[in-house]
Amino acid sequence: MESAIFGQAIREYFRLRRILPWVALGVFCLFMAKYWDVLQSGATKADAYSNVSAIFVYHILALASAIFTTAIISQEVEQKTIVYLLTRPVPRWKLLLLRYLASGIVVSVIGILCAVFASIGSYQGLGNNPLLIKDCAALIVGAFAYGALFLLVSLMFNRAMIICLLFAFGWETAIPNMQGQMYYLSIYSYLEGIAQHPSAGGNKLLALLVGGSGDNTLTPGTSYLVMFLFSVALIGAAAWWFTNFEYLPREDAE
Amino acid sequence: MVTATNVSRWYGQVIGLNDISCEIGPGITALLGMNGAGKTTLIRLITGQLRPTTGDLRVFGEEPFANINVYRRLGYCPEIDNFYEHYTGRDFVRFLARLDGLSSADAKSRTEAVLDMVGMSDRADRKIAGYSKGMRQRIKLAQAMLHDPDMILLDEPLNGLDPIGRREFIDILGALAEQGKAILVSSHILFEVEQMTRSLLLLHRGRRLATGDLGVIRSLIDKHPHQIRIETDEPRRAAALLAALPNIVSMKFDRSGDSIQLEVREPDSFYDALSNAVIEHGLRIRGFSSPDNNLESVFKYLVEA
Repeated sequence: MESAIFGQAIREYFRLRRILPWVALGVFCLFMAKYWDVLQSGATKADAYSNVSAIFVYHILALASAIFTTAIISQEVEQKTIVYLLTRPVPRWKLLLLRYLASGIVVSVIGILCAVFASIGSYQGLGNNPLLIKDCAALIVGAFAYGALFLLVSLMFNRAMIICLLFAFGWETAIPNMQGQMYYLSIYSYLEGIAQHPSAGGNKLLALLVGGSGDNTLTPGTSYLVMFLFSVALIGAAAWWFTNFEYLPREDAE
Repeated sequence: MVTATNVSRWYGQVIGLNDISCEIGPGITALLGMNGAGKTTLIRLITGQLRPTTGDLRVFGEEPFANINVYRRLGYCPEIDNFYEHYTGRDFVRFLARLDGLSSADAKSRTEAVLDMVGMSDRADRKIAGYSKGMRQRIKLAQAMLHDPDMILLDEPLNGLDPIGRREFIDILGALAEQGKAILVSSHILFEVEQMTRSLLLLHRGRRLATGDLGVIRSLIDKHPHQIRIETDEPRRAAALLAALPNIVSMKFDRSGDSIQLEVREPDSFYDALSNAVIEHGLRIRGFSSPDNNLESVFKYLVEA
């Protein structure tokens, strides 16, 4: 039963029509990394990779997470297929967790794919990029952290996608750049704490774009721990919520 | 199998089901009511998609909301017409068989069995997106029977089926009922329901209006004058013959002059007498209809009663 739920979700998320746009975004990252020196003269390969990664790859990760995570339940509700899932002898929490796991894997793959493309664009390969492994780890952590948050939001609110996108592109861009300790409230700050991208130097605009204008001093160890606890707490809350509240196909109730 | 005690369900300010008490056991029970009567709400309560706002609902002795013990014994054929459209019928049913806890091999064999039962074996490898309404209904019924449940709930299952499909569908339900399963079928068409069962639960505006045997409900209805329209080429001769029959309350000619409107008591007796009159006197009748044979009239009678 578990393998059927997980397998179905993976097959659903990895459908060619769903994956192709993300591959296209990966190719976009490749070109941005390859021609980064047009935008920033004198940029090294490391600069090109880390800037493209921070500006594009992590936002693509958040976007992918918003789209795939809201599909876990909200899309089933919208499509009215939720009824087939909720009237089966499967505990709701198990259904939710298995589909969350599948979406986390897909979003991780998308994030890593984009990072790999960016690496190919900047380093003309993967082996010479010292930042790639740490980035991959941060992207996996980010996929599950964003996923847990967006999943809970999608269970609690009807128009979850709007909230998730505002968070991904508004909150996650603004908060890491704020002075003081506001960066604690941003998932991206912790992912940056894991990835440890090099500083943008004196370029204020670039620092703003990569979320490096704040006072982020998070270490990888702290970031891993906080993200783990954050994800577990939120996914636990989501499982509790989903088990205890009603989910009906969106239509006029008779 | 199902026991509802003073169950009510509110949607915000709107009441969907109002103080319903009933019991549903083995055999086919028809859940009858017009649109908005609360049929789907009751089915959603029984299938544990909703919780009652007040009252107590038990299915197999347990509260059904998100209860996997109940789902192990319950099959549900929803009214909605939505599927994973890119799946084939076979893949869709097999996936749900796995969710029912069947092993891969069992799911495969059980899928073939239920597809065969609903007459979809030869068409199950096509994508659901290309299915007709009738084929979709069959797939929905197939997935409801997968785990051989003790109770099957079908929400408006005959919608979209052609007459042959309806007959086959009704036969399948009859066979399931004979196996001792409880089957609850919702419908808003009295005629449709009469072909399936004598056991009815009538809902009207969220309330239980009547429950029990169709015959009892019919006799309640038959106490009221029943309207019948008879079309004939010889209306005056027909009127003279019909006036002599028992149970005629009133009679008038249509403006067109080729039909007669009657009000009769005990329509079954009248129909017997009418057929005798046709045979004995060679009365030519082109057709007859009863506007009272619809659900709206039934509710009107019962509410007035």
